Amino acid sequence: MRLFGFAIVLFIAAPLVIVVPMSFSTASSLQFPPPGYGWQYYVSYFNDPGWLRPTWNSIFIASAVTVLTMLLVTPAAFALVRHRFRGKGAANVMMMMPMAVPHIVMAVGYYSVFGQMGIVHTKIGVILAHTCLSVPIAFLVLSANLKGFDRTLERAARSLGATPAQTFWHVTLPILRPGLVISALFAFIQSFDETVVAIFISGRNAETLPRKMFDSIRQEADPVIAVISTLLFVAVALGLIAPILWRAAAKSLRRGPAPAGRA
Amino acid sequence: MSSYLSLSGINKTYGNFTALGDVNLEVAKGEFVTFLGPSGSGKTTTLMIIAGFEKATRGAVTIGGTDLSDLDPHQRNIGIVFQNYGLFPHRTAAENVFFPLQMRGTKRGPGLRRAEEMLEMVGLAGFGHRYPKELSGGQQQRVALARALVFEPSLLLLDEPLGALDKNLREQMQIEIKRIQRALGVTTIFVTHDQTEAMSMSDRIVVFDKGAIEQAGAPLDIYHRPQTRFVAGFVGESNLVPARIEAEGVAQSPVLGRVAYLPEGQPQAAPGQEVTLMIRPEHMKLSRAPLDGRMNAPMRIETIVNYGDNALVIGRAGDTLLRVRVLGADVVILKEGEDCTLSWLPEAARLVTR
Repeated sequence: MRLFGFAIVLFIAAPLVIVVPMSFSTASSLQFPPPGYGWQYYVSYFNDPGWLRPTWNSIFIASAVTVLTMLLVTPAAFALVRHRFRGKGAANVMMMMPMAVPHIVMAVGYYSVFGQMGIVHTKIGVILAHTCLSVPIAFLVLSANLKGFDRTLERAARSLGATPAQTFWHVTLPILRPGLVISALFAFIQSFDETVVAIFISGRNAETLPRKMFDSIRQEADPVIAVISTLLFVAVALGLIAPILWRAAAKSLRRGPAPAGRA
Repeated sequence: MSSYLSLSGINKTYGNFTALGDVNLEVAKGEFVTFLGPSGSGKTTTLMIIAGFEKATRGAVTIGGTDLSDLDPHQRNIGIVFQNYGLFPHRTAAENVFFPLQMRGTKRGPGLRRAEEMLEMVGLAGFGHRYPKELSGGQQQRVALARALVFEPSLLLLDEPLGALDKNLREQMQIEIKRIQRALGVTTIFVTHDQTEAMSMSDRIVVFDKGAIEQAGAPLDIYHRPQTRFVAGFVGESNLVPARIEAEGVAQSPVLGRVAYLPEGQPQAAPGQEVTLMIRPEHMKLSRAPLDGRMNAPMRIETIVNYGDNALVIGRAGDTLLRVRVLGADVVILKEGEDCTLSWLPEAARLVTR
């Protein structure tokens, strides 16, 4: 049983074991094991506008997608979790649809429709398409959080003199914050990661990082790809660990060193 | 009794279903009133209408002469302690208690000081910096109470606040809530389905069933003089047997035979009328042979449940199960399956006509 668990961990970690060493490689193309180690591809990544521009594009697009997704998903989750209305079931299904349709089909659809609208190969186009793809996962995360929300807390706030707006601001929002953050994080990552739709509609102007990586791997197998993968992995890992560190720091600040014998 | 809180003609219907039918009640200032009833009896609905979370279909709620009907919950100045406390998990105990003051524009510094004072009042001095999840159930309960009282509400509503506590803590909190309520003199409505809780805490009990008030009165009045069959069965343990009135002071029961009762202070009943006789288990006695000067009836003992200081003896007279409370010392001579005589005094028999 333990062996089995170990095998699974190994299987999941395998790409890392290969990609991280390759990013420090001295070889001129992706090659494992690397013939020698150095920083040269990190240097070239940070100096090559051909890589930096798609990086900024991706960050910009993913940020815009996150904002747009949350603006759509937050009211939708409140409505679909808390209220009963005609067509609620259908609305729930519609929210999930983008998840059910293969990305390649969506991509072809966007390509033809956005083409007619003249927004293919623009950031707007990519943002709109990615928002559609982000909605289901962000909605799922947020509505799960909202279902677990104890509405007694809102009643308590009202009884204690809070207006509906004050209740939302002082009670609902702070308690829902972790759910909102995770939901937004998923929206961001899904856009940042997305390749298929980006290949179809991002073009040269709105080229995203995954698209650039895809092009690069087809043409020259530039080891910078390994550098980017490593950097992304580090960024995500930091993103996951940061809240834990933050909470621990806040706790120790608040009451000094933890008394012995208490968790 | 001058009225402070007044419910007049409160009705609540959901479509065809009547949740509350014409509830009328007057509560005096400083009074501790308990709404007692099974779940679905309308007691919580009534509470939510007072709090403003439910709207009455008809009728009005007034406090000190002011009609609350058009006020939102946050405008009513009513403190509520919910069953699961409803403490804000992202705020410390002191910040929770500060919340209602914050909503009323008090600055953080003086507000938190006032909150700490209130926590001290409920026996939680020094716990202000803890988060709700770092407190025990009883402590959370006290924080909720402090939070509901710190803004000097015109009314305190307690919605089954002791339901989640274990037995010892419950009793401790019953005493504690009474103490605080007396100290502050705040008019209080306490909702529960637990009749011992109602008995021990209340100035007055209002018994609810099926969306209506069955009876309202002092705890002992409710216990000794139940006006309806429901109240007789719900409040305390009781033996309820059908009977027919033969003449004033005499009823004939298929279970207990001829039963004499004292007509004074009892509801009117004409000869021939079908009534219910109630005799409390502690007013019954068991003996080997009929006793002089008492009403006697035969019974066969079926089950003896021992509680140490006393025992509950369940026996059968005809097809009817009867319950008798016996002192612990007396129970050793009784055996299950034994035939014996059940006896009681005529004044123990209570007539219930509704």
